[in-house]
Amino acid sequence: MDIQKVLFVTKFEELWFDALESLMDLRQVSLNHVVFLNVIQREKVALHRGKGYEKKEEVRLREMANIRFINWAENLFEQGIEVGAYIVVGSLVQKVIMAIENENIDLVVIGNQRKGKIEQLYAHSDIMEIIRRSGTPVLVYKYKSGPEAGAEKPFEKPLLATSFSETSNIAVNYLKNLGKVIKKINVINVADPKLLKESSAMAVQKTRKESRRKLEKICDMLSSEGIDATPSVYIGNPVHEIENAAKEFNASMIIAGTSAKESWRERFVGSTPRKLAENSVFPTLLIPPGKQI
Amino acid sequence: MSQKKVLVVDDDPDVRLFNTTVVEENGFIPIEATNGEEGLKKLKEEKPDLVILDVLMPRQSGIRLYRELKTDREFKDVNVIMLSGIAKKTFLRSQKALTEFGGEAVPEPEVYLEKPVEPEELAAAIKEFLD
Repeated sequence: MDIQKVLFVTKFEELWFDALESLMDLRQVSLNHVVFLNVIQREKVALHRGKGYEKKEEVRLREMANIRFINWAENLFEQGIEVGAYIVVGSLVQKVIMAIENENIDLVVIGNQRKGKIEQLYAHSDIMEIIRRSGTPVLVYKYKSGPEAGAEKPFEKPLLATSFSETSNIAVNYLKNLGKVIKKINVINVADPKLLKESSAMAVQKTRKESRRKLEKICDMLSSEGIDATPSVYIGNPVHEIENAAKEFNASMIIAGTSAKESWRERFVGSTPRKLAENSVFPTLLIPPGKQI
Repeated sequence: MSQKKVLVVDDDPDVRLFNTTVVEENGFIPIEATNGEEGLKKLKEEKPDLVILDVLMPRQSGIRLYRELKTDREFKDVNVIMLSGIAKKTFLRSQKALTEFGGEAVPEPEVYLEKPVEPEELAAAIKEFLD
């Protein structure tokens, strides 16, 4: 599947226009339409004791968002890109899913919806919920060196973390179409640290060799599409090792597949993609399972 | 003689209400559409005499709808009033960019008004084409 239409979700606090501009490389492959979405949280205009629904506040917030979007849209229109915009009141997850369905979106770009520790424990991750319900890839955009340093091009030098699952294979297929924008990609697998408890070094080496062989196969597939791909095997905690590898390779983004559904354990303890999306300093592209891409 | 029809395409319900009221008060029949896609459908179904078109809308922008309209043999002569918060300069540049990407060159819109507009100004523009 090509990335023709991007949904850019912003609260204007965590994601600015330069983030969108850093994705304009995707025009070389297929990007031709950007849809802006600003969700005004209900609690900003309602649910205030004794005040009822604050229509004036809604109008004020809508107009503020509209002015920003008009500026951004003018910039994109002048480049020949089609632009649409939604400014809506409601729940982030519901409104993002509504926009994905209305617009037939290929990629969602969203800032990190970081929650407090208590909220994290009880609330389902918004991003994982969007992926689970929409089946659309989500790029959790972060400013690697902080917003002051500006946005870097995430697709230029990504790191693909694969577990060799079906979703990981979908991620590989997704990347095959992006040969014109990816300059180099590092493909890694993080082996289970339980391996180190094996009595024989041979057993550990055997697993490493097997992982390496599978990684080389993936790299060969990517190379055949003109993408410079390098395999590496890591061992240890997946979240830490993926983050370390991204730093070592100075990656522009981490790409990972997500499982079909978050189990109850994952919901409370957190899955690897969820932890990367919420805690990594790198932009994180999460690929859902099962979508034909 | 049957009453003339004006297609109003805008995603903002307040602006649609304003535009359709001005259209009706001047003796014409308003037809509403909330985005470019719906606008194109209504254009084909209702064959309006004039289109009042916003630019920034979901699903399909006014830029694309304008282009489709002006390159369609059946509708290219339908007059269009662009009514938008997007600057005219941007609109013209975007059409130029789309032409450079391999599209057909399209003429400038007959009237380009920037939001917000006074009812008298809109009414005068409508009457210029329909009276």
